[in-house]
Amino acid sequence: MDLNFIWLILGGLANVIVILLVAPFFQGVLRKITARIQSRQGPPIWQPYYDTFKLLGKEDIESGVSPKMQRFATYLSLASILTVGCLVPMGFRAPMNGAGDAILLVYLLTLSGICMLLAGLAAGSTYSLVGISREMMAMLTLEPLFAITIVIGALHTQSFRIDTLLSGGIYQTAGLPVSGIIMLGVMLLSFQAFVQRVPFDMSEAETEIMEGPLMEYSGPKLAIFKYAQMAKLVVFSALFIGLFVPWGSGLVFPFGWLLFWVKVFILVLMVTVLAATHARYRIDQAIRYFAALLAVGLVALILASNGL
Amino acid sequence: MSVMSKLQETLVCLGAGRVTLPYPFKAEPVPPNFRGRPIFDANKCIGCAGCANNCPSREILVYDVCQEVRVLKYVGRRCTYCGRCADVCPEKAITMSHEFETGTNAINDISQKLDIFMSTCQRCGRCFKGAQVLDELKMKGYRFDDLQNDRWVFRSQAYMEGEPVVDDIKIELEG
Amino acid sequence: MLKDLCQKMFGRSLWVYHANSGGCNGCDIEVLNVLTPYYDVERFGIKLVGSPRHADVMLCQGPAMRSTSKALQRAYEAMPSPKLVFAIGSCACGGGIWFDSYSVIGPVEKVIPVNYYIPGCPPRPEAIIYAVAVALGLVDKKTAPVEFKQLEFPIPEYHPADLKGEGDLVVYEKTEHI
Repeated sequence: MDLNFIWLILGGLANVIVILLVAPFFQGVLRKITARIQSRQGPPIWQPYYDTFKLLGKEDIESGVSPKMQRFATYLSLASILTVGCLVPMGFRAPMNGAGDAILLVYLLTLSGICMLLAGLAAGSTYSLVGISREMMAMLTLEPLFAITIVIGALHTQSFRIDTLLSGGIYQTAGLPVSGIIMLGVMLLSFQAFVQRVPFDMSEAETEIMEGPLMEYSGPKLAIFKYAQMAKLVVFSALFIGLFVPWGSGLVFPFGWLLFWVKVFILVLMVTVLAATHARYRIDQAIRYFAALLAVGLVALILASNGL
Repeated sequence: MSVMSKLQETLVCLGAGRVTLPYPFKAEPVPPNFRGRPIFDANKCIGCAGCANNCPSREILVYDVCQEVRVLKYVGRRCTYCGRCADVCPEKAITMSHEFETGTNAINDISQKLDIFMSTCQRCGRCFKGAQVLDELKMKGYRFDDLQNDRWVFRSQAYMEGEPVVDDIKIELEG
Repeated sequence: MLKDLCQKMFGRSLWVYHANSGGCNGCDIEVLNVLTPYYDVERFGIKLVGSPRHADVMLCQGPAMRSTSKALQRAYEAMPSPKLVFAIGSCACGGGIWFDSYSVIGPVEKVIPVNYYIPGCPPRPEAIIYAVAVALGLVDKKTAPVEFKQLEFPIPEYHPADLKGEGDLVVYEKTEHI
């Protein structure tokens, strides 16, 4: 039992280290491809690594309404995303699947969204407050979508365990269930909003509200927030792949693992192309869009609870 | 939200390739009339200070150390590269060159200082003024050239006082 | 060791904040031109950010006016060190044509310390990229002070306060205190 326990913890830590090393690489790929779509040369792929190291070396100016809450919100945002990373299968089976179930997953993801709200409140400037009000409105309509996906998966597999859910749990009944296909469509259409990229990044609109909640952070704290955003991209891709595109993860060690990273790369490519060609939505347009998706999700839930 | 048109847009932009100029590593040609940094040529300068009088930002400063020595200083900080100094200079001693790569960390790098020796008259010892533009054009009074006979009359008084007029040159052909 | 790495990475990713304190927007447009695909400056890792707290370099343009000098000072103090200031255009380097106007204090360096000057009205985008490359150490400076002399004897240091007038005659007289 002890050895098993130690392997469990090491598995979780290995996942975390892989996320920490690889997340800036995907961000760099995103920036390079955006630049190529805009017909220009673009930064080198390793640019986010340079950015993070530079930010770690800058002076930390503590300004804002309550500096203690700022520190707390900063560390909590990275910690919550990395905890989700411990639970999510990345090419192997989920490392710490005995440590929690799918409901914990939903709450941890909501926690990482709340950290942004805490960050904006702790800073206390006007632009931050505008940013977090937008973030709150978006979260209210977005988190239910993810919860509906988890519930449909639980209905199909009759359990909340992470390893059964995240290996194609949506498709578990005989044949291809209609509710599964509907949820695949809904999650694809709202994936951009979960990772906070262009059509839906109005809470941190760069030129409009001067970077919103992150406005008063400088130096190492900003590095941690940017790292958390980069890690969100990888973690959400892993969740999406585990829920909807699990085929091929049962292969022998190198191939299953490499296939997983190829799938993540394809998802990042899709996010990049959509981000480079679209304009940013206003908050009311975005909420109408999410509400329509929520209605479709509820229809899928009703179908799933009736066995379809 | 039509996805097909966005994909078409992506393909068009990718088809344009990479339009970035490799600028600091390869030189860029400038247009022929480009006005870059003004260069002051001390060998042609006669020290008239016409450039200093005409500069809109008062960027050219003049100091007379003694009668024979005049110091002109071009402080490049406020220069707007308008070219009025080059326009007005009677000796064409100022050229607006094609240099634009003038970023520095010490603003004194752009200044140019000329120490000019002013000639004095050999008889009275005072500095003399060079020919003014209007004098060179000799615009004085009315003109009464002889249009019937195609002859040029130098001064208006000549017609009335019977002074000689300029005629066509008569050349004796040899042989 | 981490500190050395962070200091080396400073030159590879500069985040830029643009502050216009009263200029005519000519240099603004040239700075925006520098970020377009044709003269792309993001290949050096430079990114435009919206808040001075995130930035390393402040691009100032326009002279320091009486109404905006306080805001410029506050934006400079909000930037975390290490920081650089670039003064773009002849208005920021020396006050421009408006140096003696009623609302202009003078060049930007009367309000905040400046590290690099880019004269021009407006400077070409290539000139701005050249100055950035000089700051990053990629190319050498191309300017140096120039002095032409037509005379052999040394000229004494002079100052307008040492001129004394006696009727029509103005005499330069400097008394040395020994």
